[in-house]
Amino acid sequence: MKISEEAVFRWVVIVAVAAVSVIGLTLLTRPLVGAIWGAVLVCAAGWRGYRWIACKRRES
Amino acid sequence: MESATVAIGHGHAEEHHGPPEAHESSRIDRQTLGILLFIVSEVMLFGAFFAAYFFLRVVVDPPTWPPEPFELPVAVAGINTAILVSSSFTIHYALEAIRRGNHAGLKLGLVLTWMLGASFLFIQVNEYVHLGFSARDLGFGSIFYSLTGLHGAHVFVGLLLLSFATIRAFRGHFGPEAKDHLGVELPGIYWHFVDVMWIVVYVTVYIL
Repeated sequence: MKISEEAVFRWVVIVAVAAVSVIGLTLLTRPLVGAIWGAVLVCAAGWRGYRWIACKRRES
Repeated sequence: MESATVAIGHGHAEEHHGPPEAHESSRIDRQTLGILLFIVSEVMLFGAFFAAYFFLRVVVDPPTWPPEPFELPVAVAGINTAILVSSSFTIHYALEAIRRGNHAGLKLGLVLTWMLGASFLFIQVNEYVHLGFSARDLGFGSIFYSLTGLHGAHVFVGLLLLSFATIRAFRGHFGPEAKDHLGVELPGIYWHFVDVMWIVVYVTVYIL
């Protein structure tokens, strides 16, 4: 695992794109819909992170 | 005592003296690990403020949020968000430049990042002046100024770090090797963290 500014910058772009989708959905519909979509994205990111850590543990 | 020291000195002339070498991981250097642990502690600090914000929002449960008569300048804060996000791109450009040995690009990227960060802070202070409510106005005023002020303080610290990095860049301190530009890489990681935190603050406080 290489932690560098490059890797962190990739996360900034991912978070920014996710935030744009939440903002767009909120402005088009209602804040509740945007909040639910944001929660779904956070859960998906958490699940993906958990899977990634589990995969790294199996490798080492 | 003295003779014992001399004897040890003669017997192990080539051995390492002084404190033992620090343990190091082959995966991550000490400085990067340090900034990552610091950022984890900062996430917890912001988490406490967000917990207070959501607690207030759920407990008060007003028909509209922000509660009447508060109004937030969503568009201006949106432009400010764009400014801060673009500063992440400029600091990334600065680091990419120094990785290729381009010192002029490094300086340009750092100066641009500093200017964008300073613009963000200036617009935020200007927003505070024109908001029409203070931190003493109900719970909403308190938590609004606490969250955005906490973030503003982090931007200020980030600007200080960037100032040091910029001065060092103009003195020719950095090089293309990874160990030779840690003084830009670590402020860069911190700056990205500040950027991500603002995106979360903006979406939570101004949009949702």
